[in-house]
Amino acid sequence: MTQEISSLMDGELDPHEAERAIRACCTSGEAAQKWQTYNLIGDVLRGGKPHPTRTAERVSEALAAEPAIIARPKRMYETTFGRVALAAAASVATIGVVGWIGNQGGQVAPGSVIAKNPSAIQPVSNVVPAAPVDMQDYVAAHKQLPSADLYRPVVNNRAAPASAAR
Amino acid sequence: MIRAASPGVRRILPALALGFACNAQAGPSDPLAWLQRAAQSSRQVSYEGVYVHTNGDRTSTVRVTHLNQAGEEFERIEPLDGSNSLEIVRRNDEMFCRFPDAKTVRLDPRITNRFFPSILASTAETISASYDVKLGKTERVLGFECQWIRLEPKDGMRFSQRLCSESATGLILRAKVLNDQRQVIEQYTFTDLKVGSHVGHSDLKSIFRARNRQWLSDGQPRDEASNAESGWSVTKAPIGFLKVAELKRTLPGRAQPVAQIVLTDGVASMSVFVEPNTAPGRTAEASSEDGTTTFFVRPMGDLMVTVLGEVPLATAQQVARSVAKR
Repeated sequence: MTQEISSLMDGELDPHEAERAIRACCTSGEAAQKWQTYNLIGDVLRGGKPHPTRTAERVSEALAAEPAIIARPKRMYETTFGRVALAAAASVATIGVVGWIGNQGGQVAPGSVIAKNPSAIQPVSNVVPAAPVDMQDYVAAHKQLPSADLYRPVVNNRAAPASAAR
Repeated sequence: MIRAASPGVRRILPALALGFACNAQAGPSDPLAWLQRAAQSSRQVSYEGVYVHTNGDRTSTVRVTHLNQAGEEFERIEPLDGSNSLEIVRRNDEMFCRFPDAKTVRLDPRITNRFFPSILASTAETISASYDVKLGKTERVLGFECQWIRLEPKDGMRFSQRLCSESATGLILRAKVLNDQRQVIEQYTFTDLKVGSHVGHSDLKSIFRARNRQWLSDGQPRDEASNAESGWSVTKAPIGFLKVAELKRTLPGRAQPVAQIVLTDGVASMSVFVEPNTAPGRTAEASSEDGTTTFFVRPMGDLMVTVLGEVPLATAQQVARSVAKR
């Protein structure tokens, strides 16, 4: 059902499947809530203000009560990486990846996601929070991109005659 | 295409035929011939221009000057954005990367063809093993007539590509990469371009070299690119991806050399890095995607495997999980 709603939002269903998803959406309370949650996520990701519905408040309250995510949710790297799975968990994927790895060209501190209620912080069991992986050197080594921002001198500097350096 | 045979039309037919012969040496309808010419043109044609590159959220502007003289390639590349200056002067496969602010020059070997417009790393025949090649519409770009070439992946292991190849020379003026939802995730486009005899050797001279009396070399060994056994192999590379380089290289901040294996299908490429895992806390796999740049980290006991490339996540994952000691 989750996948169907996600696909519906992404406009990927054919008319028959869409009709079935919409019908399910209106009859099941859980599905209707998912639909509203996904729309809310979409609104926030697009930079707009969420529509002032009761659902938004409920989601905000639920988020505040949630434990802080201090390690990347395990299922993110253990599930298969289907498009639908990522679409359905769009907000989680973005937060988890950016918070954990740090993006290209600069670092993002781990634990960027902090729930409002500090007392609810719980470590995720069996997952040790790791330092962010810095992609910079790999990007430079792979692409040899013309970008000075990616460049970091190798440690053992030595002088070179200017003539050798064209 | 030209079916009409009224006397008026017949009179202009020779003119049309002549124009056609000048503009479309690749032949009007053979997609592979167009692709082959596009692949060769960025090396064989002389050009000078500025292009804009957008990948994910990042945009950069780069000036490129390229000269082919008696079979030798000379190139100067200068990114125009950012606070730090950089200039790359290339002669064939030797790249001199000059960082005027740090007074450093780095002698880098060229291992991948990733500077636009030289984005095709193989022949049309090799590329067509992984992509269906079709011709799209023609368009006017910067005053040049341009033929779109569509590369549709034959499987889900690579992205879809669109190349706009200039009719007279074959030079790629625009390139787009699309994901499986048909969204453009990476784009190159010239915003200013001169082609042919306007380009001379003086355009290739370093503009920074005279700024400092002495330049530091950063000690990057020049023979790094020589294909050295890395001791590692990718046992399950997706079909079409072939190894084009294997080396041990120094990376900043690492005590030991890092093994690097480069795979390409002629358009998309991936680098596989193997090195000691220096963060004991890192035991789980992780990934990120931005534009076409996909990153997959896989701790493997005391070692860490990192795959970085312009490929879908599933491809990077498959490669990272199939790295084995040779």
